[in-house]
Amino acid sequence: MLPFLNLGPLALPTGPLVYLLGVWLALFAVDRAARRLGLDAERHYALATTAVLAGFVGARLVFVLLHWPSYDDNLLGIVWPLTTGYNAAGGALIGAAAAFFYGRWRRLSLWPALDALAPGLLLFLIAVSLADFLGGAGYGSLTSMPWGITVFGVRRHAVQLYEALAGVAALGVWWAATSPRLRGAAGRPFLWAAAVYAGGRLLVDAWRENAALVNGFHVMQVVALGVLLLALGLLARAVWRGGAT
Amino acid sequence: MKRERLEWLALIVLVALLGGGWIVLSRETEADNQPIALTTAPYVGALAPDFTAQTHDGANFTLSDFNANGGTPVVLNFWATWCPPCRVEMPHFEAAAQLYGDDVAVLGVNQAESGATIAAYARNHGLSYPLLVDEEMTINHLYGILNLPTTVFIDANGIVREVLVGTMSRAVLEERIEKLVGQ
Repeated sequence: MLPFLNLGPLALPTGPLVYLLGVWLALFAVDRAARRLGLDAERHYALATTAVLAGFVGARLVFVLLHWPSYDDNLLGIVWPLTTGYNAAGGALIGAAAAFFYGRWRRLSLWPALDALAPGLLLFLIAVSLADFLGGAGYGSLTSMPWGITVFGVRRHAVQLYEALAGVAALGVWWAATSPRLRGAAGRPFLWAAAVYAGGRLLVDAWRENAALVNGFHVMQVVALGVLLLALGLLARAVWRGGAT
Repeated sequence: MKRERLEWLALIVLVALLGGGWIVLSRETEADNQPIALTTAPYVGALAPDFTAQTHDGANFTLSDFNANGGTPVVLNFWATWCPPCRVEMPHFEAAAQLYGDDVAVLGVNQAESGATIAAYARNHGLSYPLLVDEEMTINHLYGILNLPTTVFIDANGIVREVLVGTMSRAVLEERIEKLVGQ
């Protein structure tokens, strides 16, 4: 873990730095993906930028609304400091909604747009895992396996790195699914990448120590299984309909 | 085509079964979540789980003593030196401890680090309020701490009044303490 990067008198928090790097790489990846797929790169880059900005602002606003009594006499607190005080679920929903409406406004087709967005989304999720790894959040359960890492003086599963590996595997699948040899109907690369990433998270989240739980079940695993089955169902439906997706 | 359909169907059923089975296998048992017997868990409105622990400089603290001695509210902050958001808010706890003095007990409960690590951190950052050592994670498990920082506000009767996850500003902390002292 490396929560802070010490540069002389400066102590830079690595988590936010990795998030920034993740956003930059994600936008770059969307641009390159759109070009690879023969889509309008400028419009898809703008779509991703809209999602990022709306997600960022939305995550902050949802947090502020949920904690309004703490802000009503401290309005400056809404805009500063920016290092904490976000609601991830709220940000994801608002970002997705903004992207959806922007896409409709610019008349972008859903499945090709999702194909172009997929690598950017995966890179951002990988960045989130790496930020957690460096910052120490989302740590793994105890292990005696040789690949365990020492956290708090004990060996734990590097579950954040496992998550990142799932993202890398999904990126590989997206790359293969968009290759000229394997390229099928629009939406297939996105669905395959989503299935692989969800499958990976379903597997590795079992080793997360501080997972959100409902009746002892890991919430992320349940969500991942739902996404995995949905992605496979949509892929299968395309086959049943004769290869539409 | 029919064979392909069957293959897809088999794949989906297999994934659902294996995935569901894996989720059940990964389920955390009650013992995993609450390894300490007789806990009441830090639920708002319930009694705060009692504990005794030592600070990095050797002083002993028992939570229930604060309620027994005339009733002092307690602010229990779970933290770790590697947790950036915790580091952000720790000066606020120091300021609150100075400001409210004996009206409220501000206690930091570290997560799994050694007394020496905590002592070095306290020394380097000028922290004087009690920082409890919890190397075995006993108190952290007792309070079911999933995220850092987490702060538990306990009133003078030992009842949990609020559990806040995430970094607080100084204003938020003081507002919560004022409410606690006024109750």
